[in-house]
Amino acid sequence: MLEIIREYGLMLLVGEYPHGKLGGLALTLIISIVSLAVTFPCAVLIALARTGPLRTPKAIASGFVHSVRAVPLLMLIFWAYFALPIVIGFPIDATYTLILAIVVYQAAYLGEIIAAGIEGLPKGQSEAAKALGLGYVPTTFRVILPQAIFNVIPGIVNQLTTIIKESSLGSIIAVSELSYVMLQVNSNEVTKPLQIFGILAATYFILCFALSQATNWLERRIANRRTGRVVVEAVA
Amino acid sequence: MIEFQGVSKWYGTLKVLKDISATVDKGTTIVLCGPSGSGKSTLVRTVNRLEPIQEGTITVAGADIYAKSVNVNTLRMGIGFVFQQFNLFPHLTVIDNVMLPLRRLHHQSRKEALPTALLMLERVGLADKAHALPADISGGQSQRVAIARSLILNPEVLILDEPTSALDPEMVSEVLKLLRQLSGEGMTMMCVTHEMGFAREVADRIWFLKNGELTFDAKPLVFFSPEAHPDVRGFLSAIQKNH
Repeated sequence: MLEIIREYGLMLLVGEYPHGKLGGLALTLIISIVSLAVTFPCAVLIALARTGPLRTPKAIASGFVHSVRAVPLLMLIFWAYFALPIVIGFPIDATYTLILAIVVYQAAYLGEIIAAGIEGLPKGQSEAAKALGLGYVPTTFRVILPQAIFNVIPGIVNQLTTIIKESSLGSIIAVSELSYVMLQVNSNEVTKPLQIFGILAATYFILCFALSQATNWLERRIANRRTGRVVVEAVA
Repeated sequence: MIEFQGVSKWYGTLKVLKDISATVDKGTTIVLCGPSGSGKSTLVRTVNRLEPIQEGTITVAGADIYAKSVNVNTLRMGIGFVFQQFNLFPHLTVIDNVMLPLRRLHHQSRKEALPTALLMLERVGLADKAHALPADISGGQSQRVAIARSLILNPEVLILDEPTSALDPEMVSEVLKLLRQLSGEGMTMMCVTHEMGFAREVADRIWFLKNGELTFDAKPLVFFSPEAHPDVRGFLSAIQKNH
């Protein structure tokens, strides 16, 4: 195993970079973080449409969420990779295709998480904002979203873990992320799948386990802050 | 200042406000009381359109609050509203809570809004808590901050929906003291409360509601006298038993 790491370690980390395209773990992380960063504003819009007062955006968002949740991510990747270029008339880089598919897929899930954060706030918060004379926009952006998003930070970090794992599907369309690199190593080495995929498993595990621990830690911190508030209310 | 004319409201088929007609004069304090579910909270919530009505009219300062020319947010800016559960914004410090209306509705910068907000906090005796978070102050203090926030735009009317019901007994007096002070300064107030001592001392009139009807509207002297409506006497003796 050490032998493989010694020989392919750099490739595992950055792919062919600096002689070729960036790949490996670095690409996995970049794809994941970029996907989450692009997903986030889309998810906020979906959450606002889902929880907002207007019927048409609500129906569109809910249709989107339900459709996306009813299909596998792999199918979205196939669509983005094979069908989309025909529709728009020019090819897209496989990495962008993967990011696009993940963003569409995750927007539905993250949107639901943020919507739950909005709906989990006490009704008194939006009522108090209304009573002050604040309209929809300041109420949403100054009162509701800051609280709702803060409360769902663990859920958002958790989605990052999911995205990291989902990015491995990129290997199917030859995006040279971590899994794809390890597949290549495997075809070079042929006789050592146990070691090679052991390293792959360990890498994902360390990454995702660390993130899920971070999620737990965040959850506890947020719960403590909430309890702080609850205690004051109880004393009151 | 505020006039209810034939106001009725239904939740589905349940009629929760029944043909209420009454007037709140400028500078007076009205205390609303009655058994739970009598519609007193619903009635005060209709004044700033937190609860829509289906029949009748409500005018504030001579203007029909449902007139097309009335912008609901402008209406609400002129009516301070204080909730039982304070409803401070927990992610904002005390001073930011109080400044929020100035900043977002009067579009003042932080620097412009700060002196006004600090002055208001001084008025409720909490200038030293300006930079605390709502989670770090007591219930009584929270309610005083909520009152400061509701007064920051100088509303003509202050409405309080059971402002002391969520408070521990030892914190009730600090809030009532503030309300007494505001009433003394000539603020027009409508206050839903079970604090009968406060009502007797501060109210100009007391409204008694039962099953969505305004059954008795009297000065405190009459309200607490044996001539009061039998429902009122029943209610008062029930309250006394609990204290």
